[in-house]
Amino acid sequence: MSNEVEETMKRIQSHKGVVGTIVVNSEGIPIKTTLDNTTTVQYAGLISSLADKARSVVRDLDPSNDLTFLRIRSKKHEIMVAPDKEFILIVVQSPTD
Amino acid sequence: MSDRRAELERKKARLQALREEKDRRRREKELKDVEEATNRVLLGTEGDRKEVDELLTSLGVAPVSEVLTSISSASSLTPEHSHNHTPDTSLLPNSSPNSLTAIKKRTPTLSVVAVQSTNIPPKEMVLYTKQTQTTTSGHERDAHATDYYVLTYDDGQGEDEEGSLPHLGGFGSKLPPGILPHGLPQVKEVQPAVTALEQEQAKQEVKEVRELSEEEKQMIILSEDFQHFVDRAGRVMERVLCENVDCYTDYSGGLGEEGLDEKSHQRISLNRGFYDERWSRNRCVTSMDWCPQFPELLLASYNNNEDSPNDPDGVVLIWNTKFKKSTPEYIFHCQSAVLSAKFARFHPNLILGGTYSGQIVLWDNRVQKRTPIQRTPLSASAHTHPVYCLSVVGTQNAHNLISISTDGRLCSWSLDMLSQPQETLDLHRMQSKPVAVTCLDFPHSDVNNFVVGSEEGAAYSACRHGAKAGITDTYDGHQGPVMGISVNAVQGGIDFSHMFVTSSMDWTIKLWSLKDSKPIYSFEDNGDYVLDVKWSPAHPALFAAVDCSGKLDLWNLNQDTEVPAASITVEGNPALSKVSWTPSGLHVTVGDNQGKIWVYDVAENFAHPRHDEWNKFLHTTQELRNNQVDEELEKLNYSVSNTPLSSMSSISSTPLR
Repeated sequence: MSNEVEETMKRIQSHKGVVGTIVVNSEGIPIKTTLDNTTTVQYAGLISSLADKARSVVRDLDPSNDLTFLRIRSKKHEIMVAPDKEFILIVVQSPTD
Repeated sequence: MSDRRAELERKKARLQALREEKDRRRREKELKDVEEATNRVLLGTEGDRKEVDELLTSLGVAPVSEVLTSISSASSLTPEHSHNHTPDTSLLPNSSPNSLTAIKKRTPTLSVVAVQSTNIPPKEMVLYTKQTQTTTSGHERDAHATDYYVLTYDDGQGEDEEGSLPHLGGFGSKLPPGILPHGLPQVKEVQPAVTALEQEQAKQEVKEVRELSEEEKQMIILSEDFQHFVDRAGRVMERVLCENVDCYTDYSGGLGEEGLDEKSHQRISLNRGFYDERWSRNRCVTSMDWCPQFPELLLASYNNNEDSPNDPDGVVLIWNTKFKKSTPEYIFHCQSAVLSAKFARFHPNLILGGTYSGQIVLWDNRVQKRTPIQRTPLSASAHTHPVYCLSVVGTQNAHNLISISTDGRLCSWSLDMLSQPQETLDLHRMQSKPVAVTCLDFPHSDVNNFVVGSEEGAAYSACRHGAKAGITDTYDGHQGPVMGISVNAVQGGIDFSHMFVTSSMDWTIKLWSLKDSKPIYSFEDNGDYVLDVKWSPAHPALFAAVDCSGKLDLWNLNQDTEVPAASITVEGNPALSKVSWTPSGLHVTVGDNQGKIWVYDVAENFAHPRHDEWNKFLHTTQELRNNQVDEELEKLNYSVSNTPLSSMSSISSTPLR
């Protein structure tokens, strides 16, 4: 079954412009990554805390609501975050053109 | 209320009476007890006295009774005997005032009681105190010791443990000094046990903050939660990645979309292709179906790939036309090649497949499993030949899966029980020759009547139930196997559900009416096997056909019957095996033998009928029929003696309009 995980990761990574894919657990510890160690740790820590903050914002505004997706566009990259109860999927993308 | 009050009064009175009765009894009992006690004392003293007397006489001393009587007599007769008995003088001061009183007879009994009472209490006291003290203290200590042990080893009740500890300490402090040393080691044993647990927890917490080891990561990766998450999040991420529209486009200075005008003139244009390198390469598309609940989902079944014998023979992919992502939403496979696949119309999660082996298989997209969750048995009661035809008919509450194999056997199944068909029916031609069914179609919302195409070139209408269940009519006309059949399914002013088209390997498409055993018309524009044909779900006179040379034709019979209204050749000229309309009728999908599905947009003004199309189509079919009759007459008049094929070519050569 784990090869399906690999398959999915590979599919995402093979998309045009994708720089890196990271799966992080709820504590912000990387579980799977396609980036180098220091970048991964940095992204994992920062993004997971940002996702936590974003989630609390969404929940504070409406307690019945929840965060489903987070997309950060910057000049150099686009960071897409799919948070869940236990894990967070982070994909870093560079503009294609 | 008054009743109640009366009752209360009565009750009170009764209670009072009971209480009085009780008091009386108690008083009586007390009196009785006192009497008994005095009697016992008297009796007991009598017995004792005898013993003492005997003992004293044996020692040569005067018996107590004698002494007592002498005392009593002395006390009673003090004034007279005071001079005779010297020992009595000691008693004189006490007795002298008493002797003066008139009543003297009761005094001896009083003095006797006093002596006895001093005798008894010591006896009782000794017995009572000794027993209670020793037994109670010992029991209490034991009980607490065992309780305490039980609590120590119960991990789940940490709070109880803590709660029990101070109580124990308190008890320990109350214990006499001799017992303390026994209790103390127990207390010492507990506390380390609790702290050890807490320490373990603390250690784990520390571990979690640190980086995870490879094994731990592997454990997480293999966990079901993680796989489920990656499956879901990956799906979402892919969709998002593909929807990468540049929302910062500035049109004020940029280029306008020039292609738009050009496109609008085209009746048909390529939208996109679905292809998966791993799962669909070199696999012929065998069927396509659209999800009734989610109209963007396209189900496609694929034949085996001869280049990769290790992969499963049958593959079913679900594609999403809504998102631009190029990978399938779901991948399913099974051991045998899948020749037909359908969404289970009333169960959005279930996908049905008919296989080459004859099994009907069922997949569920809620299960993290690509192999079928259920399959029908391979038995003589079900199919033993390839199943090319599947259809789900009926309503939400009463629907069946209909499957027909190439030996002409029709089975209807309940989706709740795939272990055996609910009913079977063998389709025969006249002389009990089985019909090799290649394609099937049900008229819209009909559950009983249907049409099938066969390998021998004939099409048949048949019904499932009734007196003559089975083949009802034969529509002979094709020279080769019928590969595709489609019943007009457009709902509208006029019902055309008796009209159907067939495509065949004889390079033709024929239009039929159920009421007529001869074709109304034959379309002979194609130059190769015509493998599939489908009526548009929106337009009554529009149908699509695909052939082996890679050509997709859209025929609008109201516009032209000689040549297709729109035609496009698929890039690379692959053999196109299947064609399908989206439920909206705005897109046509075609599947080829290389495993690729092409999605074409159909121009809206072309795909959607105007309000007069139904009447026009009725007119067209009438005209076609008239032409046919004229043709026959002409043929008779000129008595052209040619091959039967020439009759068809002569039809097509006649100008229709």
